[in-house]
Amino acid sequence: MKKIFKKADFVLLAVLILIGIALSAVSVLSASSGAKAVVTVDGEIYGAYSLSDDQEITVERDGHTNKITIKDGSAQMTYSTCKNQVCVETGAISKTNESIVCLPNRVMVEIEGGEGGYDAVA
Amino acid sequence: MQWHSRTGRIAVSAMFAALALIFSYIEAILPLSTGIPGVKLGIANLVVILALYNMNFRYAMGINVIRILVAGLLFNGLFGALYSLAGGVVSLTVMWLLKKTGLFSMAGVSMAGGVAHNMGQLLVASALVSNLKMFVYLPVLMFSGIAAGILIGIIASVVNERVPKDMFAK
Repeated sequence: MKKIFKKADFVLLAVLILIGIALSAVSVLSASSGAKAVVTVDGEIYGAYSLSDDQEITVERDGHTNKITIKDGSAQMTYSTCKNQVCVETGAISKTNESIVCLPNRVMVEIEGGEGGYDAVA
Repeated sequence: MQWHSRTGRIAVSAMFAALALIFSYIEAILPLSTGIPGVKLGIANLVVILALYNMNFRYAMGINVIRILVAGLLFNGLFGALYSLAGGVVSLTVMWLLKKTGLFSMAGVSMAGGVAHNMGQLLVASALVSNLKMFVYLPVLMFSGIAAGILIGIIASVVNERVPKDMFAK
């Protein structure tokens, strides 16, 4: 029976984990709570909606429909005609580095900060 | 045993592609959804690794590409297949190169393949929606790639010991 792991595997594992930790640190440090949800369809901005107003946004394009619900300061994709439903399963987002992507329908929701967003970080 | 070398390899490739497709199907129906796009086990990769080790890069790539395209047609939609394909090709190329160095075990090769698969998918996904913000998923995809890759690699090395080698006519 051969050994399952070799020495080089552990070196590679350590390197990958270190890169992963560094990337997580960057994304955690750059997060802050957002002010608006920006909806993009096919790379073009469809609209920006304030997170402080509860609302439902319906995006229709080429026979695809996506519904985005903004409630209690967070945005969620509540309905999509796409096949994989990954966007719906993503859940609610509220931080500036979060996004919901519906690749099949090419709809994306991103959170952006408002004025003075940098004050909290500085 | 000269007579069956090429034909045998084609038959084994077809069988492997079918097996990989079944694993894709099992993966598609398993209620393992994590809510994060791209985080999955990649059971079909088991077959691809065995092909890479017992046949060669070309056969493994053929099996992989067939598996992704057919799975795309059957379960995920062809659009999804596009980024699966990117992940699959990047992953297999990385695994092939690491295997060639001779330094890594099957589990190590598979681990790198798992990470490379997720990175490849993310690259295509961010190109398609033309936004680099998707890279916030990077750490999650990195760790899930490591974990899934190691798990599949361990299973692959255990299975590899038990696969009859004369099946892969040289």
